[in-house]
Amino acid sequence: MWKRLLLIRGAELAMFVVLLALPLGINNPYFLGLLTLLAIYGILLIGLDVSVGYLGQINLAQSAFLGLGAYAAGIMLARWNCGFITCCIGGTAFAVAMGALLALPSLRLEGPQFALATLSFTAVTVIFLNESEWLTNGAQGLTVPRPPLFGHDLSPKEFYWLCMALMALTWIAMRNLLASQWGRAFEALRDSPIATDAMGVGTYRHKVAGFALGSGLGGLAGALYAFNFQYLQPQTYTYDLTVILLLGVVLGGRKSLWGAFVGATLVALLPNLLSNRTLFIGISAAGLVFSIIAAARGLLRRTTKPFQALAPVVATGVLVAGGALVSNTEDWRRAIFALMLFSVVVGLPEGLMGFASKFLTNLFRIPPQVLPEPSPLESVLPERRERTATPILEMRDLKRWFGGVKAVDGLSMKILSGQIHGLIGPNGSGKSTVVNVVSGLYTPTSGELVLRGETLPSGSLLKTSRAGVARTFQNLQLFTGMNALENVMVALRGAYPVSRNLPLVLLGLGRREEARARADALALLEFVGLRKEALTPARDLTYGAQRFLEIARAVARKPDVLILDEPAAGLSHMDIQRQMEVIKKVRDRGVTIVLIEHHMDVVSGLCDVVTVLDGGKLIAEGSPAEVKRNPKVIEAYLGEVESKPALPTATA
Amino acid sequence: MTGQILAQLCVSGALIGLVYALVAYGFQLTYATSKSLNFGQGELVMVSAFFSLTLVEWHVPYVLVILFGLLFGALLGIFSERTSVRIALEQKNEGWILLTIILGLFLNSCAENIWGRDDRPFPTPISSTPIHILGVDVTPIELSVAVGVFAVMAAVELFKRRTLLGKAFEAISADRDAGELMGISASSTVMLSYALSGVVAAIAGILVSPITTVGPTMGAAVVLKAFSVAVVAGLESGFGIVVVGMFLGALESIASFQVGSGWREAPGLILLILALAVRPTGIFGRAVIRKV
Repeated sequence: MWKRLLLIRGAELAMFVVLLALPLGINNPYFLGLLTLLAIYGILLIGLDVSVGYLGQINLAQSAFLGLGAYAAGIMLARWNCGFITCCIGGTAFAVAMGALLALPSLRLEGPQFALATLSFTAVTVIFLNESEWLTNGAQGLTVPRPPLFGHDLSPKEFYWLCMALMALTWIAMRNLLASQWGRAFEALRDSPIATDAMGVGTYRHKVAGFALGSGLGGLAGALYAFNFQYLQPQTYTYDLTVILLLGVVLGGRKSLWGAFVGATLVALLPNLLSNRTLFIGISAAGLVFSIIAAARGLLRRTTKPFQALAPVVATGVLVAGGALVSNTEDWRRAIFALMLFSVVVGLPEGLMGFASKFLTNLFRIPPQVLPEPSPLESVLPERRERTATPILEMRDLKRWFGGVKAVDGLSMKILSGQIHGLIGPNGSGKSTVVNVVSGLYTPTSGELVLRGETLPSGSLLKTSRAGVARTFQNLQLFTGMNALENVMVALRGAYPVSRNLPLVLLGLGRREEARARADALALLEFVGLRKEALTPARDLTYGAQRFLEIARAVARKPDVLILDEPAAGLSHMDIQRQMEVIKKVRDRGVTIVLIEHHMDVVSGLCDVVTVLDGGKLIAEGSPAEVKRNPKVIEAYLGEVESKPALPTATA
Repeated sequence: MTGQILAQLCVSGALIGLVYALVAYGFQLTYATSKSLNFGQGELVMVSAFFSLTLVEWHVPYVLVILFGLLFGALLGIFSERTSVRIALEQKNEGWILLTIILGLFLNSCAENIWGRDDRPFPTPISSTPIHILGVDVTPIELSVAVGVFAVMAAVELFKRRTLLGKAFEAISADRDAGELMGISASSTVMLSYALSGVVAAIAGILVSPITTVGPTMGAAVVLKAFSVAVVAGLESGFGIVVVGMFLGALESIASFQVGSGWREAPGLILLILALAVRPTGIFGRAVIRKV
């Protein structure tokens, strides 16, 4: 535990001490300028990493936010004579506002569409800055003298220290954020936006807030950029810069503060790196040797495909050859950068720091985190004593049509509290559609849903989840990149009253909640028998364990009604027995359960009442034994038969 | 602004807009088979134009210039697919966005160093003396753009409908897994779509160069508008991109006349953001139902 903390925090501390001390030893204005630029780019790229790394979106707008922040600060200074701090705050706030404005429509999009929206935003911003001469002075540029701070004129060294201190603060704030429920929410929504909403976390609001925050850091970097260069020109912030920033993050390593910092170093130093030819050839030769070794290893062990192994070798080989042949490397700056990036993106998809951190973790044998004792179950999932079996969830004439297909066609049913209510029917009978309508994924065509006498919001997974209905997914929707414990922690209801406030989290005030949440989540893992797998990534769990994790995660919502969508599908006989025990235990805590299932023995063994659907309509309801004898049910499963047929068993 | 000027602006704008539609058509071709598109497409347009210009300067006959230009475009398309798209598709992630951006950066930098940073005229045997039709001036070059764009799109559509290879293309677009089960190689089909997309980019370059001149930045200018056209129209409708392309071309020529030439590109970009906000599947696209 201490070793882990000491090594990770120690490395961060050492880096900042060295960076802050450097100007004391070296008195070279050019070098100081580079360091200042490094601090500014550091803030900028940490901001960019929020969207590119954590939200998993290709963001091509960060240079626009740098420009908007710079111009906002510059114009505040030039027009209204604002002070240093006011300008910095103004630049940041303006970028946050513009970021939110862009994010609100765009973040509903995925993949290439989002990249295109941000690309357009950058282009429009440059046009605006260029053409609005009345405000920005257009292409002639805007001169921004550096204002004094508290009446004191900053020397270049002092300005550097200020920038570096701001980068350190950004670093700490970001670390606090990423170690909180926010960080988990970011990770979760990238893996499965649907499950994130269904777990009551809110994909969209986290995306917008995260993007606006990253943009705000771009704005802060912009204000510092303005005071550093003291001259602004719209052409600085074009596509080229935004691409280089994006690629800097990728090269350094996504989802990593160190990665952003390494990326910033490369972006800041790149022009110098290329002007020194020997250095350039040396570095590319080192890259070539490294990629040859990696390729040979990967090919011999058959862990990498030929293309992935050989492409970086070819790219770095071209770099070495090109370095020897081409007379002026600086003219080929972007091609060289492209080749470097190509080899990293193909060969080291996790970036330089992703690779280095794995390597260092092994080298120093950094131990995994130590888990706390689980909380008592009673405090996590308090037992409810409602044994009277009153209606808790009601569907009234529920319909969901897809064009001409009436998937659910006038379904009315009541689910009584404290019971396990089975929902069965042949394939295509509308069970899954019912689940999707009740849980809010689909909006009903007509009809009403009532939970505890109040209308249940429809058409929103998030609202339904917050109202007290939780669900699992037939096709697993786990957050595969996170470990089992984090999967449950994301869903824990009511565990994060402080962490909901972004500013408080940035200040690091959510720590105590975190410890409690870990213990609570561990209790739920123990409840389903996964305590030992707590730190295993969800994608590495066995299929059976993944099904149990889905249940633990849904139970963490502390729901009134829990919908289990074919939880036993694909499980071994032994796992099915274990799962039935778990489901009974959940019911015994007073949670009402709706169980969609194909295995008749599971349905018979667990359910108090069973509803049978066929063609989107209710055809029978009653105890499992009654339903099995019902001729309509037998007909639905087996077709019309004359004599008494055998009982329907597993169909799927 | 008189009606005649307006008509003139609309017609010449719409004709240029057809080039944006053609580049956008290239996006649709690859999006259909692989749900990916080449962010370096603009550089493909530019490099192909420079290549063809070099052939023209070597006094290669115009017909051969076009032929070699198309071949070169196809090769570039295949190169893009092989280096930047296939690996990401195999890993089922969106790495192709990054990799094609990187490819574009690389091609642009190479073109700058090989052909220089200046804009150069692209000589063509087609006349540029305006013809007067219905009160509007149109040059034969502009008309050749329209003819070329429609001819290419018609040829590709015919190819998709009439040939076996084209039907394989359609099958993979409709359902990749089912297509593979029927014995069609999805990766070769994706490569074919990138080759076609490269051909389309090369034609766009050859068609637009006589009007706009050839330079290392021409790709970036065309591709942004092609993105707008593709997104506003939707990534599925061939008819939609022609309509939206012409509309956007007309709109930007009016904007640059009325507001100032610096604002020329703004309407397309704003339209793109608006379209994504209001209707992410595009005007002519269809919504998809989420399944879990």
